Amino acid sequence: MPYVVDTVEVEPERLLPYLDAVRHLGVPVMTDAGAVLVSCATTSAEIGESVDVQVVWSFDDHDHWNVIRKNLVLDPRWYEFSARIAALRTGGTRRFYYPVALSPP
Amino acid sequence: MIRRFEIYSLRPGAPPGRVRALETACGRCGRFIPEVLHGAVGWNVSDAPVDLVWEHAFASPDAYRRYMVHPYHAAVLDRYLLHDSPERVVVDNDLGAGLVGYDCEGPVFAMTGGVRRLVLLRLNRHASPSVVDRLVSVLANAPGEADQMVLSAVGANTLGSAWFDAVTPIAGRPRWTHLWEQGFASRDDLDAYIDGPSPVAAAERRQWRGVMEDIVERTTSVHYEIDGPRPAPG
Repeated sequence: MPYVVDTVEVEPERLLPYLDAVRHLGVPVMTDAGAVLVSCATTSAEIGESVDVQVVWSFDDHDHWNVIRKNLVLDPRWYEFSARIAALRTGGTRRFYYPVALSPP
Repeated sequence: MIRRFEIYSLRPGAPPGRVRALETACGRCGRFIPEVLHGAVGWNVSDAPVDLVWEHAFASPDAYRRYMVHPYHAAVLDRYLLHDSPERVVVDNDLGAGLVGYDCEGPVFAMTGGVRRLVLLRLNRHASPSVVDRLVSVLANAPGEADQMVLSAVGANTLGSAWFDAVTPIAGRPRWTHLWEQGFASRDDLDAYIDGPSPVAAAERRQWRGVMEDIVERTTSVHYEIDGPRPAPG
């Protein structure tokens, strides 16, 4: 099962609005499109640095991701979610990961 | 064969390194997804509100579908394009031609260099098929009356609404119903064509008004040097 991992950088004062957007906009639209939320975690907001937010979604395979992408593109909520989080982050990356044999089932 | 264009407008302030990465990712796509044929990248030098054009083709809908589910597509291309990606470097634009394409019998569009001009046409939805065919014939045969034009290919924009699998429409009628690819050896030749005496160039300058029952409702175009360098700002 592959994963798409978004790791974004936000200023500490924007962490809660960012997480709120993920929870109330991102999770519904991504879940309805077919993705599964695996985890959402952050670095500490109490260490005088910007905060990294890591959100991990899983999907069955790239055929499945292709359908998820189509569903997202056709869903107006995805554009609202995208605009909201874009305004709150200062940077970040998106990477796809694939499990290896030593990974627990 | 499926001819396909992705046309991007860059986000102001997008990191130059990521923009170059997108350009490189498009240009190298065929190395990783062998189904991607005739790939080339060009920087728009027309007045259209776009920056980067990625032109390519697929042998069949099956080949297109393999491209759509390839990891390179999702993990490399989409990284820079999808709205929710933190690495997105593009923005929406008013052109309405982010992804367009048409079916053809073979690589009638093939050019190894020079200047490509992609004309986007919106034809009247009530136009009779015979008039549409007549227009397509005139456009396809344009090099016969315009010496500077070395290539002309025309097709209905099938991918505008069927981008998911290249077959099934999942959206309404696209803004641009037809695509007309023109090829020129140089920008000087393109300029000479646009300002020249050929009937087809004259029709373009008139925005096709009065031609074939006013079948052409609207038109715009993008042109670029195939695999050419990015123009200097300003």
